[in-house]
Amino acid sequence: MSNGKTPKAISKEQQSYFKNIRAYRRKIKWTRWILLLLFFVLWQTATQLKWIDSFIFSSPIGMWQAAVELVKSGILWQHLAVTIGETMVGFLLGTALGTALAVLLWWNSFLSDVLEPYLVVLNALPKTALAPIIIVWIGNNVTSIITVALLTSVVVTIMTVLEGFCRVEEEKIKLIRIFGGNKAQILTKVVLPDNVPCIVNALKINVGLSFVGVIVGEFLVAKMGLGYLITYGSQIFKMDWVLLSVILLAVLAALMYQMIVSLEKRILKRRNQ
Amino acid sequence: MLPAIMLDNVSLSYHSMDGETKAVSELSFSVSEGEFVSVVGPSGCGKSTILSMLAGLLTPEKGSVTIEGNIGYMLQKDHLLEWRSIRKNALLGLEIQKKVTKEEEAYVDMLLKQYGLWEFRNHAPSQLSGGMRQRAALIRTLAVQPDILLLDEPFSALDYQTRLSVADEIGKIIRKERKTALLVTHDISEAISLSDRVIVLSARPATVKNIYEITLSTEEKSAMKAREAPEFREYFNKIWKELDVHV
Repeated sequence: MSNGKTPKAISKEQQSYFKNIRAYRRKIKWTRWILLLLFFVLWQTATQLKWIDSFIFSSPIGMWQAAVELVKSGILWQHLAVTIGETMVGFLLGTALGTALAVLLWWNSFLSDVLEPYLVVLNALPKTALAPIIIVWIGNNVTSIITVALLTSVVVTIMTVLEGFCRVEEEKIKLIRIFGGNKAQILTKVVLPDNVPCIVNALKINVGLSFVGVIVGEFLVAKMGLGYLITYGSQIFKMDWVLLSVILLAVLAALMYQMIVSLEKRILKRRNQ
Repeated sequence: MLPAIMLDNVSLSYHSMDGETKAVSELSFSVSEGEFVSVVGPSGCGKSTILSMLAGLLTPEKGSVTIEGNIGYMLQKDHLLEWRSIRKNALLGLEIQKKVTKEEEAYVDMLLKQYGLWEFRNHAPSQLSGGMRQRAALIRTLAVQPDILLLDEPFSALDYQTRLSVADEIGKIIRKERKTALLVTHDISEAISLSDRVIVLSARPATVKNIYEITLSTEEKSAMKAREAPEFREYFNKIWKELDVHV
């Protein structure tokens, strides 16, 4: 289909418009990189000129050396893999379980009316406060960490997905009913497919939440993972390890979020092809 | 001819915490097999309630509803599902009734070809014009081979020009497929031009105010041609007065 553009003859004005836009975008990109570079340069300079103490503030070069050391011993990948694995399992389970429970509540409006205030309270409660309890119940292991990650995302998933379910147009449900469709068909033919964007959106929210749960869990029980590296590093005053882990965590979270965003684009494109 | 639809002293109220609203009160009328009947009435007079009762979505509190045959229901908007192609949308009813067979699919394909949507069978609904979408919705309704069609202002979401031609077209299709049809509308011209009979309802609670047999001196029953018949104005004025529209 045509999108209103004529590919052959682009007027001078249009050309200069394109040029301006491209120049502006380039400027933004470069400024972003320069800002990041400046931050690290300033940090390094400050520690070298003894404005700040590198023992407690670490330094980019110190972090780099720590990274090299950890990579050489092969242990960095293990820590990364553990954190990534726990987060993935946590947010996938959280979204799946949350969606399943939303289906249950949509199906049984009595149940959802009864549980509504409890859900509101549970949603407001910082789930990380439950972490110590979970550890006492489940034990000093990975299952505890994943459970904490799952808990951080499951309630908010139930609430967003259920809201999406309830926003499905009444007339679309009527459409299924006039063909004699039952409730299961209303669910599978209209309610679920209509809410694919809503569920993908829940995935997006849950990546971040699941990281919070995993790191808190690792703080408390783990022998592996970035959260462990952070607490352990701070206990033995290896601030290079601590700050390196925090930066890696930031990169990891951003990458996972981007992954979900591109997944979302692909799903929506396939739906509307 | 046998009545395909019969309402006998039907009453229904809606209940809410604010009180009771009588939607339909002691309503009786019938539609014969193969007949095209329109129901007009002031807005909010309970027209859609009548269709919902006929489709079995609501049960009357008093009186009885009799239906001879399968019901097909066309909604105000097309409500084509965006994540399905046009053909998949047309197959929705069959899918729900678990009747998707080779023959049924062939019938749907035939309808798509006949009514000019075959080339668009793999398109998404959003790629089609309003008139084409409404045609696709009609094919979805016809796919389950209903004997009786219930039409709930199926043209009201279209702009005026599209509306005239789509109404004309869909009227022709329904006659060609020899279906019994009950059209609910607030558009008097639409009712007169399409129907054999027009039932005028009172304001809520709905009761039958009057019934008009429509005979027009145009040889072919086309919604567009019908508007040119000399009797058209007469019917229009009578029904208009009866509806007692206060502006």
